[in-house]
Amino acid sequence: MNPMLRPRLQMETRRHFFHQCSIGVGAIALSSLMGERSSALADQSRLASTSRPTHFLPRAKRVIYLFMAGGPSQLEMFDYKPQLVEMNGKPIPASYLAGKRFAFMDSSHRVDLLGTRRQFARHGECGAWVSDLLPHTAGIVDDLCFVKTCKTDLFNHAPAKLFMNTGSGQFGRPSMGAWVTYGLGSECGDLPGFVVLQSGPRGPRGGAVLWGSGFLPTMYQGVPLRNQGEPILNITPPAGVSDLAQQEVMRSLRTLNEQRLAATGDDEISTRINAYEMAFRMQTSAPELMDTRSESQETLRMYGIKDPVESSYARNCLLARRLVERGVRFIQLWHTNWDHHGGTTENLEQHLPAICQEIDQPTTALVRDLKQRGLLEDTLVVWGGEFGRTPMGEVRESTGRNHHIDAFTVWFAGGGMRGGVSYGETDEFGFGAVQNPTHVRDLHATILHLLGLDHERLTFRQQGLDVRLTGVNPARVLHELLV
Amino acid sequence: MLVLFGLLGGRCFAAPEVTERAAGRQICYQRDVLPILARNCFACHGFDLRARQAGLRLDSRDGATATLESGHAAVVPGDPAGSGLLARVQHADPAQRMPPVETGKALTSEQLDILRAWIEQGAVYQQHWAFVVPADHPPPDEGEAYEPIDAFVRARLRNAGLVPAPRADPWTLLRRLSLDLTGLPPTLEDLDQFLLEYSDAPEPAWRRWTEKYLASPQYGEKWARWWLDQARYADSNGYSIDAPREIWKFRDYVIEAFNSDLPLDQFTREQLAGDMIPGASEQQRVATGFHRNTQINQEGGIDREQFRIDSLFDRVATTGTVWLGLSIGCAQCHDHKFDPITQREYYQFFAFLNNQDEPTMKVLGADREAVPQQKQALEAELQKLLEARADEIAAFETAVVQEGESTERGKQLAKLLAVARDKRTFAQRLSLFAAGPGASDQEFQARRNQWLACEQILNEAPSTMVLQELTRPRTTRIFVQGDFTRPAEEVSSGTPSALHRFEPGDVPPTRLQLANWIVSPENPLTARVIVNRVWQVYFGKGLVETDNDFGLQGTPPTHPELLDWMALRFQRQGWSFKQLHRSIVASETYRQSSDVDPKFRDVDPGNALLARQRRLRLDAELIRDAALAASGALTTRIGGPPVFPPIPDGVMSQGQVKREWKASTGANRFRRGLYTFLYRATPPPALNVFDAPDGYSTCTRRLRSNTPLQALTLLNDMAFFEVARQLASLIERDGLTSAFRACTARQPCAEELGVLSSLDSLSAARVLLNLDETMTRE
Repeated sequence: MNPMLRPRLQMETRRHFFHQCSIGVGAIALSSLMGERSSALADQSRLASTSRPTHFLPRAKRVIYLFMAGGPSQLEMFDYKPQLVEMNGKPIPASYLAGKRFAFMDSSHRVDLLGTRRQFARHGECGAWVSDLLPHTAGIVDDLCFVKTCKTDLFNHAPAKLFMNTGSGQFGRPSMGAWVTYGLGSECGDLPGFVVLQSGPRGPRGGAVLWGSGFLPTMYQGVPLRNQGEPILNITPPAGVSDLAQQEVMRSLRTLNEQRLAATGDDEISTRINAYEMAFRMQTSAPELMDTRSESQETLRMYGIKDPVESSYARNCLLARRLVERGVRFIQLWHTNWDHHGGTTENLEQHLPAICQEIDQPTTALVRDLKQRGLLEDTLVVWGGEFGRTPMGEVRESTGRNHHIDAFTVWFAGGGMRGGVSYGETDEFGFGAVQNPTHVRDLHATILHLLGLDHERLTFRQQGLDVRLTGVNPARVLHELLV
Repeated sequence: MLVLFGLLGGRCFAAPEVTERAAGRQICYQRDVLPILARNCFACHGFDLRARQAGLRLDSRDGATATLESGHAAVVPGDPAGSGLLARVQHADPAQRMPPVETGKALTSEQLDILRAWIEQGAVYQQHWAFVVPADHPPPDEGEAYEPIDAFVRARLRNAGLVPAPRADPWTLLRRLSLDLTGLPPTLEDLDQFLLEYSDAPEPAWRRWTEKYLASPQYGEKWARWWLDQARYADSNGYSIDAPREIWKFRDYVIEAFNSDLPLDQFTREQLAGDMIPGASEQQRVATGFHRNTQINQEGGIDREQFRIDSLFDRVATTGTVWLGLSIGCAQCHDHKFDPITQREYYQFFAFLNNQDEPTMKVLGADREAVPQQKQALEAELQKLLEARADEIAAFETAVVQEGESTERGKQLAKLLAVARDKRTFAQRLSLFAAGPGASDQEFQARRNQWLACEQILNEAPSTMVLQELTRPRTTRIFVQGDFTRPAEEVSSGTPSALHRFEPGDVPPTRLQLANWIVSPENPLTARVIVNRVWQVYFGKGLVETDNDFGLQGTPPTHPELLDWMALRFQRQGWSFKQLHRSIVASETYRQSSDVDPKFRDVDPGNALLARQRRLRLDAELIRDAALAASGALTTRIGGPPVFPPIPDGVMSQGQVKREWKASTGANRFRRGLYTFLYRATPPPALNVFDAPDGYSTCTRRLRSNTPLQALTLLNDMAFFEVARQLASLIERDGLTSAFRACTARQPCAEELGVLSSLDSLSAARVLLNLDETMTRE
């Protein structure tokens, strides 16, 4: 018997199946967003590149998250504390330390205050404080919204990064980018919905789980665009396979898969056919994305890109804009290393200025470039690390600061956030919030809100719990910061 | 349908795909009301005392009918109009309406009808089905001589007006059986042999091949992976440092356990408390590696106790999920919101697992007894010799010092002498004697060589991570909100009181007694949970869809009597997995075609009633295995240290610490996916992309995603390309039809052959390996 000729399916055309499939996709996506228990949990995994309805009107359509890995020192950059300078070298009043836990408690931790040696000035119409480390950023403060009282729960790098990205210090939770693409789907038919770019001397502590999908289907995990070799893992046909041969393989594969679809009636095959088509498109679109030769000299200069091929934070900022233009939903840049404890390789005197210089101009250029192109309105840019640094100094061979989780600065631009705002106030030493403490959960809730997602309704059922990015503790949308 | 379920055992269950109007029908608490209350009310009006609002609990009849402060009762049986519950859920004022608007939850009008009818009919509560031991249901009489499984399934199909699909084609059947039991597609020889036997006498052939596959060592490999998912097995420590660890002996133990059909009750005892079994064997100690598959944080500046506690939290949650199908972990910070587990009971359960050291152990196998004994005997003998000739040694030492370090020998000896006499190891003392007084003593040299050989065996033996009970138990305290820095009252070991009795002989109760309690015949959960999870592998979905949640929030079983029947039979057949597999694969339900009949697509879109089989994409490891097997490249060696098939450059630098990945050469390059070294932080991409679990927490059911990155992996990944080249040479040697059959087990049609033969052999091989059909169990 010819298995191809099963009578009952003979009349089913491919178009018919695709039609049915697309109806199914919409229905399942909607039900999962409404928090219903979908009887088709596993089927959710095939909802690739469709856009989904939001809970309410979104202000932002996409996110660029500039993750400064290691914990940038807010006290050297944004949170100006003259009294800290005055009290330099004196011990912090004991009342500040009671009941606090720090990393490396018993070894290098010191209790003497360390005043910053940077010069601070007010900038823009809003008069935001920015230090001399960031002359370019100082020029766009009227587009930025500084949250100076961010607070996290964990004081070691990997757990804190996990917490900032997944809402939990435990491994295995979905990252923010995964949640967002799960909630909103993708608007890009030939690139992944969640893309990760990396720069700096090494990968961030924590590694690939930081952009993992946890218990969400793996299709939502961040796809790293690689700086060397092929831009996406396995995007290039194997050595010795010509483009023509690859095309023929794809064409034949499609024909045979379509026949099997007709024979079995299993929609999963049409999803697979689509996945192969997108993979094939990615083979062209990813190299095209990475090829920045078409960018003008002026643009390259603005970003501070000297060599358009060499990997750098600056080039990644430009790639972020190009990804935004292509409809990618969530773009995360990781730049290492901001862990300025002091010492020969990571001190506040030499290494902080150096890394600030690496990011200052490109970050500014990215915000300006998006604005010029009318993209900033619906693109949310987030800048920040996993925690900040202590007002107390660490004196190793040179000065540095320890990890600090009670108050640090994160800034936002575009995407429905107000510009020219400094939110939250820290005490005289910058140790804790005296006004508007803002927990990581509040940041998450706000980011989701801007995208049109209700953080309490964007859930996934796991081990008996409707798990969400913001976890079980209360989280607050920072409505006062929205346009 | 209602009649049927109303009559069976006095219980009733949800038929998710069949909805009927509530008015005028008999409402069943379990099926109709509980899901509504659990979903919408219990979070604030349930079991958790501290979260309870307005003093109202709706999870018990006493609570629901109690007079509240307002003077009213939420539920007045027989009087919907007088019941506060109904008034509040349909209140006109959104601020008064329940559930509160900020929860994002709201009742549908059908749900309101159900609640009204339920109260009207007397508001009867029933005990949650999963907390009652399975009942002995006879299979429905379906007229013909059906397997019991089929009788249960067909009764429901008939009631829903559905017709079971015909049997799948014989080639599909054998491929299905082979993939499900061994994880490998059938070889062409097997296929031909089977088709011959099957055309002659289908039933004996089916039975014979079932036995053949169950007896093959590949069966253990296939089903070990199923268990290793649940055991959260991986080969590294996790967290950010993610250093490699040696625990593959546990993996091999699991393979062997399945191959020898170790009964689940014993399998459970050995893994949870193998070290406490009297006269524990080495393998039983290896088995305790189950709970060593937790992460270890090696970051600087951390509080070690914090991460020890975290690993215990994981062990409690894993034990609850794997064996009980309960989300016990939810009670870590507060009383469980839905299931009857208090926070105190959580920490009582925790206490069982809080009393062990976590050492590594050398695994010596057959050498375990003999070698250490021999070494000890030799040591005693040699020691005597050294003592007897102590004077000669002293003289030799003096001579050596005088001789100086001018020669190589002199230098070596000087190094030995530099160690103070009483600090020298036994090996050093032997070396010294061997160089001096014993140099020409043949007898001594032979003994010394034997001793060195023993030492080498002991040193080179693999080690594995195990549990070892402490003689003095740790104190366990409740942690306020699960925070280890806030210990509160002390608790002793115990099990949740809502479940079956726990009567330990010893005081205090031990891990071994916990294991015995879990596999007690009085336990309503374990057999059901395991049987359901095995069923899930065969049909893509369990009879209870929420395989890891049999609690009040879980979905009720689609075929409750079948589930109970299988759970009881599993226990009566000595908890034998092989017997369980036999009964499932023997059923017609299993042997149906997986093709989708458009007539029934809308009636039962999720195939909950099992009117057909289901096409299932192979698990990550099996995609690799099937490709290797089809191309003839597979190495079939069982067990041993993990291996390193080629992975793309740059993958290993994604973690915080760059780990080495030196691709295996020779036979180890082509081992089954189960043996690939698993770094938690940087999982092998070809497995990860196909939804292999990450080993961070227990995985009882894998998702099956379908993505472009999978396509790129199968098309372009070096490891798969190597396999494609091997398949290409097979095409050149044996022809396209052979290769096609090696991948799919069926004959290609003329059109398919036409498409493939227009390609060069390498392209044809790549197409075959990328076919949806090749990566799918049909």
